[in-house]
Amino acid sequence: MTAYPVLSAMTFLPLVGAVLILLLGGERRARWIALATTVATLAVSTPLYLYFDKTSSALQFVESAEWIPAWNIAYGMGVDGISLPFIFLAALLSVLCVSASWTAIRTRQREFYAVLLVAETAMLGLFSASNLFLFFMFWELMVVPLFLLIGVWGSSRRVYAAVKFLLFTLAGSVLMLVGIIALYHTCGTLDFKALALARQSLGIEQQAWLFAAFLAAFAVKVPMFPVHTWLPNAHTEAPTAGSVILAGILLKMGAYGFLRVSLPILPDAVQLFLEPMLAISAVAIVYGAYVTLVQKDIKRLIAFSSVSHMGFVTLGIFTLNRSGVEGAILQMINHGIISAALFLCVGMIYERTHTREIKDYGGVGKIAPVYSILLALFCLAAAGFPGLNSFVGEFLIIGSAFQTRTWLGAMAVWGVALGTIYLLWLYYRVVMGETNPGLAGLELELNLREVATLAPLALLALCLGLYPDLVLSYLRVPVAELLAGVAP
Amino acid sequence: MSDLILLIPELILLGTTLALLLVARRIRTTPVAVVGTVLAALAAALASGWLLWRGAGPEFGETAFGGMIIVDGYSQFFKILIAASLALVALVSVRSIDGEQIPRAEYHALLLLASTGMMLSVSAVDLLTLYLGLELTTICSYILVGITVQRPRSNEAAIKYFLIASFASALLLYGISLTYGVTGGTGFADIASALSELNLADHGLAEHALAEHGLGSHPLLVVAMGLMVAGLAFKIAAVPFHAWAPDAYQGASTPVAAFLAAGSKAAGLAALGRLSLVAFGAQAQVFSVLLAGLAALSIVVGSVIALAQTDMKRLLAYSSIAHVGYALLGLVAGTSEGTSTTMIYAFFYVFMTLGAFCVVIALGERGENLDGYRGLAAQRPLMAALMLLFLLSLTGIPPTAGFVAKFGVILSAVTAGQMALAVLAVVFSVVSAFVYMRVAVFMFMKEPQEAAPSHLPVAVFAALGVAALVTLIGGIFPGILVSWAVSPQ
Repeated sequence: MTAYPVLSAMTFLPLVGAVLILLLGGERRARWIALATTVATLAVSTPLYLYFDKTSSALQFVESAEWIPAWNIAYGMGVDGISLPFIFLAALLSVLCVSASWTAIRTRQREFYAVLLVAETAMLGLFSASNLFLFFMFWELMVVPLFLLIGVWGSSRRVYAAVKFLLFTLAGSVLMLVGIIALYHTCGTLDFKALALARQSLGIEQQAWLFAAFLAAFAVKVPMFPVHTWLPNAHTEAPTAGSVILAGILLKMGAYGFLRVSLPILPDAVQLFLEPMLAISAVAIVYGAYVTLVQKDIKRLIAFSSVSHMGFVTLGIFTLNRSGVEGAILQMINHGIISAALFLCVGMIYERTHTREIKDYGGVGKIAPVYSILLALFCLAAAGFPGLNSFVGEFLIIGSAFQTRTWLGAMAVWGVALGTIYLLWLYYRVVMGETNPGLAGLELELNLREVATLAPLALLALCLGLYPDLVLSYLRVPVAELLAGVAP
Repeated sequence: MSDLILLIPELILLGTTLALLLVARRIRTTPVAVVGTVLAALAAALASGWLLWRGAGPEFGETAFGGMIIVDGYSQFFKILIAASLALVALVSVRSIDGEQIPRAEYHALLLLASTGMMLSVSAVDLLTLYLGLELTTICSYILVGITVQRPRSNEAAIKYFLIASFASALLLYGISLTYGVTGGTGFADIASALSELNLADHGLAEHALAEHGLGSHPLLVVAMGLMVAGLAFKIAAVPFHAWAPDAYQGASTPVAAFLAAGSKAAGLAALGRLSLVAFGAQAQVFSVLLAGLAALSIVVGSVIALAQTDMKRLLAYSSIAHVGYALLGLVAGTSEGTSTTMIYAFFYVFMTLGAFCVVIALGERGENLDGYRGLAAQRPLMAALMLLFLLSLTGIPPTAGFVAKFGVILSAVTAGQMALAVLAVVFSVVSAFVYMRVAVFMFMKEPQEAAPSHLPVAVFAALGVAALVTLIGGIFPGILVSWAVSPQ
């Protein structure tokens, strides 16, 4: 085991990088510092994967220190098998975000990379926090950088999208704040593990109210139907790096919240809300898929597909059986990889054509074969093609959905079918057919940097598809413990 | 003699005031007056700290002058805060004094004297000392608001402020006299003991009525409390006694507005806190109802009306009204834990509000209108970043001090069982988020239309830096402050 505080070092390294960028100045130097910082952060996080004990459900690499002693609030970090994959994903996607913004961001580069690094700190901190106070700090810290990323470096309707994003997420999170305070008032602690033990002091009615308060925050972030309306605007208007962080990490924060807070601390309320949660998830899957079908803007299409895909995740979580929850977590990672990759693909081609309308594309395959192959891989992965990563996750979720309620399984299968249609149709319209005359003379093929950006994600999609145990092995013990606590 | 030692902070400020007035004719450059004031403020803060150290920590308490004044952790906490706000306001006044031809020595003397009044009122344990302290502050404030004699707006604001605030003082005084009539004393301790006897007597007479309504059966006492709370609510500009604030802030020179919004409110809150906890602790239920009403109204009205403002000073005025509402949440509980959360709120509120005002001042004419913030981030990235920090803190987003402050008062409301009030408070913090983030949108997401603002005087920059440091560090390491915020015994 390592003696030095890995989690804190990893979490705050990007913040140091952000300060360095602001101090050292230099528009062109900024991106190099950002790249170095994100790579270093990924490197610093490696001991976590190497020395992690998969047979234990306890938090590992635990750090704690006094923080606000008068309120009995401590600084606490620690990871378990559920949070570890997300830390890896966040650290990896941050590197890719810098790489993807290399030439795409031309204005105010210093501020851009500084903001991006602050967002990385927030992401890593959120998944490392071992108490609710710290969790909430990072949860809120995440909002500001993304507000700026969307609002300053976004496309035409960016201000509207940024403000909408901010207000939706804040409206949810302030209710969570009341929930946290009420929880603290009743249980006298905010430590996740201690709260799970102290939950007996919560009556069923109180649990229900708390569940509703936390649901407000989590549902907005996931986003669950019907509070998903900020998502298409935010994803569409954000710069590529912003979309990647939104789709890759931010959407996972809500579902992670369910796993960290709702399930272990409010199990009775979870049982109480089970039916509506399952129903909303099923609606999100099918409704999201239908709305995705009719989108004309590529980014918007991928954004709406996230609503559908995150529906699978919440469905899996609330089936409350092992394969469902494991599948949901795996699917969160999968979706993080694939939707990030799809947004990167769109961003790369947008940088050349400056259009996101599907009708402006066509026949890209003839001009840019490498791009087309990678896009095919990610589209198939998103559609749940066997051998690629989503297949395993969706399979686990659908299986346990059928076990829970037959109609849920049927809805989920219907969602997968629709998913295949919109993704392959998208691919068909963009890549196949005659080359669109508007694209003539454009150099659409990817350069080496872009291939290198997509390659890790492609590799992960393949590896997780063929050997899902890479992630699942981490989940087995903590998920078993989680479910043992929820069982009625 | 030992009584005078306890008043060293006040005496330092008073001495400096007199010295400034004596040599007023000889002060020809602004920095002399500013340096004098800042040094006096620092000395006063140090003296307050020394008294705290001498008393061995925040839990001590020593009365002086026959029980008119107390020096305890609570009063020293606020004295340090008042001194800090005085120093910051003196620093940011540099530009306005030169630009608006304000008489230097007199201006600073008034600031010092007003701060002396604030310090007295946070130390007061007698209704009369409290009244005197508050009046000293208010009278100096009238003149400060009207000190730019050439500007009609400033005169108008001063007259409005004078009329309304003297009415409020009358209410307060009326309340004090009624209290004296009922309890036979003006000292907080006398009132408290008289009230507990009253309560005991009531229990014998009308046990049920008391249990049901929680009111002291003496109707005069209820009226007295209502009048005193109303009078103090005027001073801290809580809704529905807030109408003077936006006009006064807008008409006054910006540093004066900052002074009114920061230290003056903190002193009023401190007085209200001690009054409700120490003197009327036995009547906590009545106070709680009154304060909960004020808090809810202030939060709702302040946040909603701020939405419609395009003048930055008015916007900050409504924002400060809403913040008073949040600060009052801590007092609603009527417990010492609750009061200490109000102390924390007041402390951080002073720095973040002063910080926002510093940016307004730093931008000069341009800073007074929302449109002036267009594209500020492109022209002055550092200033825009600092303003963003203050705005986030005012919204209550971590890791800024505003979040810790909000966490504390909402915790106190939840502890008091005021769940509805807590939910109302956080819901309207989303409304206020829209208000503050609108400024951020102007700064970061619009193209600049005006020429870049001129560079900052060092003094303004120093004030900005201090406010930013407290706002940021207070948000990340609030531990020490939380442990020093000890409510009056």
